[in-house]
Amino acid sequence: MCRHTQTSPTLRSGLAADLASRRSAETRRLVLSQRRLPGPLPPGLARWFPALEVLDVSGTGLAALGSELLSLPRLHTLLAKNNRLGGPGSLPKGLAEAPLLGRSLRVLNLSGNRFAELPAALLGLRGLQSLSLGSNRLHSIPPEIQELRSLEFLYLGGNFITSIPPELASLPSLSYLVLCDNKIQSVPPQLAQLHSLRSLSLHNNLLTYLPREILNLVHLEELSLRGNPLVVRFVRDLTYNPPSLQELAGRTIKSRNVSYTPGDLPGNLLRYLHLASNCPNPKCGGVYFDSCVRQIKFVDFCGKYRLPLMHYLCSPECSSPCSSASQSSTSQSESDSEDEAIVAAHRMQKVLLG
Amino acid sequence: MEHTQMWKAQTLEELVQILHHLFAGDKVNVAEVQALMDSYDSNPLEWMQYAKFDQYRYTRNLVDQGNGKFNLMILCWGEGHGSSIHDHTDSHCFMKVLQGNLKETLFEWPNKKGIGEMMKKSERVLRENQCAYINDSIGLHRVENTSHTECAVSLHLYSPPFETCSTFDQRTGHKQKVRMTFYSQFGERTPCATAVLQENN
Repeated sequence: MCRHTQTSPTLRSGLAADLASRRSAETRRLVLSQRRLPGPLPPGLARWFPALEVLDVSGTGLAALGSELLSLPRLHTLLAKNNRLGGPGSLPKGLAEAPLLGRSLRVLNLSGNRFAELPAALLGLRGLQSLSLGSNRLHSIPPEIQELRSLEFLYLGGNFITSIPPELASLPSLSYLVLCDNKIQSVPPQLAQLHSLRSLSLHNNLLTYLPREILNLVHLEELSLRGNPLVVRFVRDLTYNPPSLQELAGRTIKSRNVSYTPGDLPGNLLRYLHLASNCPNPKCGGVYFDSCVRQIKFVDFCGKYRLPLMHYLCSPECSSPCSSASQSSTSQSESDSEDEAIVAAHRMQKVLLG
Repeated sequence: MEHTQMWKAQTLEELVQILHHLFAGDKVNVAEVQALMDSYDSNPLEWMQYAKFDQYRYTRNLVDQGNGKFNLMILCWGEGHGSSIHDHTDSHCFMKVLQGNLKETLFEWPNKKGIGEMMKKSERVLRENQCAYINDSIGLHRVENTSHTECAVSLHLYSPPFETCSTFDQRTGHKQKVRMTFYSQFGERTPCATAVLQENN
């Protein structure tokens, strides 16, 4: 329970009296923003405004929302941006378990506060559709984010996030993902599983390339990448570690379709075989496990922008024929890119780049 | 020497009326128009009917067609929304912030071959009621709402009106022509019928 020793009982009772006098069984929206709230939401709020659906306490200096919030039976939108939330106890304990609020809450805006990590109290809000934590102090996104099954809109711009957990890709309804103004160095290829993604904001990060799987996001219409140190020139192969015996055996089993049953192999090898990835080179039918060549190829999106996409190829022989040629882009590498470009153009009709 | 009259628009409606007067002839006195736009003190009650936001990108909402001489529109920028680098198809462009803040970054035109990183000339943040002016001879610009907590609203005047412009890739200078569409016109939502490539954001 937060203490506000510097606020007088008079101030708090003044606010309570003011709100009590405005009590109404019909009021659905209550906007308290831009006035100083001396402490957490006063007890009685749920009694005075039982029909409350939207509560705006933005810019009120709140350091804790208080447990009265849990008693609001119909609240679906809570706006609490530009406050002093972020310390322990900012959000009431049992938020997600609150019998009514836990299910009714759909929109939560906590932008412009001081959260150093995504509050665990939020993770059980299975009905939450829109979450904003822009301009906070987040350094990471917890993998448990995948528990917010209803999430469609996730705004995390303006933090200090360095990486994206692949679990984010498990959110089935995510259509708007904002990660701009962070410190992200790479995008996990699993993000391509976000089939509903319509808008992806990655500008002002530390990306040098994107995973080629990004082409699979067929519904993506907006993609912002400005302010990233994206490579613009053809980059030669990076390091290549020769495959282990286990890898070679695994490749042979997969590419020759050697049949096996679960009883034939120890569990760890079964799981290993399951992780085979197909070589994206259309002229090669091979697979790879851990050992692969990373090569950056450029893809034109709709004939507009050349984006560096990271390709994983199963061996150096699989890489673009011109990789052994001179450094500058030759016509051959351009034609490889053009094949990719035609595929990309079909799949991403309206990708917009900024 | 043109006489630059100082106008004061008390309301948005008055602003539109005076604009019709200023654009009645063939010549545009840029200083006069800019002073007029500056003079209007933004009053949300007067423009909120045009301010329709989209969660995914900024919107263009037509307010007045200026008897064919100009387009006056309101742009609504959600948190983090920004435009591409673009030109203004040989037209005058006035931009006034009605709410929030907008960052304007000016760029030089890329060289003819369109290769190489584009050169940033300058950047500034336009605050509420400030008005900026640009045309193709000045350069290109990108406009963004860099706030992660506040929306922004701006009033734009383009003369002559134009429907297409070029957008530019900052890293290469590569340009592409795009057709612009309106999210709403005169306060009514006007969805796009076709999947036409929209202006970059």
